[in-house]
Amino acid sequence: MRKILPYLRRSIQILSFLFLLYLVIRTAFPLEIKIPVDLYLRLDPFVAIISALTNKGLIERMLPAFGVLLLVIILGNFFCGWFCPMGSVIDFFDRILFREKKRAKPFDDQSLRRFRYGVFIFSIVAGLMAFQVMYILDPISLLTRTLVIAFYPPAIFVYNHFLPQVQGFLPKNPFIVSSIPLPVFKVNLFIFIFFIAILALGVIRKRFWCRYLCPLGTLFSIFSRLRIFKRSVTDDCTSCQKCVKECPMGAIPAEAPQDYRQQDCISCFKCLECPPGAVFFHFNKPRWKTVNGVNLSRRYVLGSLAFGGLSALMIKTNPLQSESGLKNNRLIRPPGSLPEAEFVAVCTGCGECLKVCPNNALQSTFLEAGLAGLYTPRLVSRIGYCEEFCNFCGRVCPTEAIKSLTIEEKRLIQIGVAHIDKTRCIAWDTDKICLVCNEQCSYHAIIGDDKKRPIVKEEKCTGCGICENKCPVDGESAIIVYSSGVQKKLKPENSNNKS
Amino acid sequence: MDHSKNQKLTRRQFIKGAAVVTAAPLVIDALPFYGSLAHASSEADLVIAKTGSPTKLLQAAMAPIGGMGRFVKKGQRVVIKANIAWARTPEQACTNNPELLSALIKMCYEAGAKRVAVWDHTCDNYQFCFSRSGLKEAGQKAGADVLSGHGRNVYKQVEIPKGKKLKSAEVLRDVLETDVFINFPIPKHHFATELTLGMKNFIGIVWDMELLHKIDLHQCIADISTLRKPDLVVVDAIRILTTNGPKGPGKTEDIGEVIASTDIVAADAYAATFFKHPKTGKPFKPEEVKFVKLAYEMGLGEIDLAKVRVKKVSAA
Repeated sequence: MRKILPYLRRSIQILSFLFLLYLVIRTAFPLEIKIPVDLYLRLDPFVAIISALTNKGLIERMLPAFGVLLLVIILGNFFCGWFCPMGSVIDFFDRILFREKKRAKPFDDQSLRRFRYGVFIFSIVAGLMAFQVMYILDPISLLTRTLVIAFYPPAIFVYNHFLPQVQGFLPKNPFIVSSIPLPVFKVNLFIFIFFIAILALGVIRKRFWCRYLCPLGTLFSIFSRLRIFKRSVTDDCTSCQKCVKECPMGAIPAEAPQDYRQQDCISCFKCLECPPGAVFFHFNKPRWKTVNGVNLSRRYVLGSLAFGGLSALMIKTNPLQSESGLKNNRLIRPPGSLPEAEFVAVCTGCGECLKVCPNNALQSTFLEAGLAGLYTPRLVSRIGYCEEFCNFCGRVCPTEAIKSLTIEEKRLIQIGVAHIDKTRCIAWDTDKICLVCNEQCSYHAIIGDDKKRPIVKEEKCTGCGICENKCPVDGESAIIVYSSGVQKKLKPENSNNKS
Repeated sequence: MDHSKNQKLTRRQFIKGAAVVTAAPLVIDALPFYGSLAHASSEADLVIAKTGSPTKLLQAAMAPIGGMGRFVKKGQRVVIKANIAWARTPEQACTNNPELLSALIKMCYEAGAKRVAVWDHTCDNYQFCFSRSGLKEAGQKAGADVLSGHGRNVYKQVEIPKGKKLKSAEVLRDVLETDVFINFPIPKHHFATELTLGMKNFIGIVWDMELLHKIDLHQCIADISTLRKPDLVVVDAIRILTTNGPKGPGKTEDIGEVIASTDIVAADAYAATFFKHPKTGKPFKPEEVKFVKLAYEMGLGEIDLAKVRVKKVSAA
């Protein structure tokens, strides 16, 4: 059994990552998969707790996450070492990139270990003040976002690049495959560098991210202190320090290898590879006491609280978030989104909606939505438009920042209104017949006058942006969708809401 | 050009011959069909089939024109340019009738086609168009490949030597290279061009369709049509969209006709009469649809139905 365990754990880690990858790939048309594609996010208690705080109420879809938390309370932290896909990636790269000998010399990492509690307190306080920027550090959200924004477009690019070559070898009949329209995301490089930086930290310590930064790991740490599935060491221990070196979390103190910090242990069972076989795991009474723990002084906790609170205030008083005249009226949120202030508080920026959007219309913001709206989705019509019979973004949103709508409901949501720039419009500016916008409009919101020049009917326009997308004018479109900041419900009698 | 010496030739045949000579370097694969001109023992150039199920209508329309065997030879590749442009249901008549598409594909296979491909470059997202219109399912059940031109790799940049305003375009490679090309339009109201007919359907082979609006839509439609003359035009007029075209949904009218023709201009000229002119309230005259008139003037076909051998048949 002891010999199988490392292989078993590695296999489960790989499978867990591949399953996440599979779910991300299946986050696409026709979205008929039985398992929720945002499963991992729904099982993430950190997202569940913070979004419940920012949303000021529990989110139904996130409830399974509390089941995971309950299991962690009983069994101890099994998630990070066995199932966390980010942990799998970090373990993999720690193994192939960094040799143990090249790593930094051991040092007293107590202050670093304390840091993640500071980060955690910061995010809870910020969450209470309805500001969620700490989601950027949530490992599941971070990994799905990185996969979608940083790795999905290059994968399609490579596929499209090799498609003609591969097709050259195949018989022409019937192997005609169109290349896939290349998805594009403006923030891809930032997300990629952030991800690589996390992996690079492994040069200092194994699982550096997990030990010192990860807020989900911190949450599990706090709740697994009273675990009942515990490590024990018999008197056969020779203090050879093997387990101290091997422990990926550094949870075994060098001076007392018989003991361990139960809250930091991720139950990877590496310490079972003990030369005298002195280590075993069993069910035992919970124990609050720990060794060599972190010193969360009053000063440190208060400092974290103050920093969290003040940062949230900074962001709340940032002009883009307040009612100042700088409101970005090109910031169009997906249909069914919560009102802007709540939306940025609840959206985790996980990128699921960006992946599922069939027209690549949803883009990740950088600073367009202010600091609090980092990596939240927005509709960029010139890249893609909101497909009429699609409600996928609401269906994959784990925190319900985008409400799940029926097709009929979605077709009545006005996310913005199109406006024509008559100085650039082909029909208004020249005597040519164009009317692409009229032809493409799904909602009969653009009519032509007697000279076949387009006019927008505001009461029918949903702001889907198909007109802006297809407008043949070079560069910026001659018809642009502007948001009023609030999503309105259109009257059914005005729309052609008969599908 | 020995054709021109023969005084007994009709104008149609002359145009065809002239088209072959000029288009031959471009569409070399189209030659086998023109080689079979001698076989034209058909009774008509434009057949209108009325009353009956879609399958029956197609069979009735194809018989007088020489049957599918006149166009499709054993082992040939057939490309059908259908209209799957919008994510609409079949009842809304913005896309082709699935049953008729299925019948058309089956007829091609019966005539010995090696493989049939149905193409469209959709306006809405192709996945939604293909599933909502029911045409992907119908086409695949009939054994055809239903293909979407959403990727630029399936296009080919070509010169349009006969084009007046559009000198070059990226068009679907398969349409140019296939043995047999069937244009399968559904006539619809169209706000910008008045009507969507066979030639308008044909611009769905172009990569940058919106660009044509910028240049001059009517002339571009005619220009693109010079690229490849369809071997056969099957007009799906079982149900047509009379308002809010081309995307609809709007009012529909059950015409219950299938038109088979070898002359796209004549087919369009006939199909135009289904619609009422918004100003006069009378049925459209073919000349009132500018791109049909332009195509006629460019010698792509006959606009005057009196000069075309028209045959009306009943499928009942």
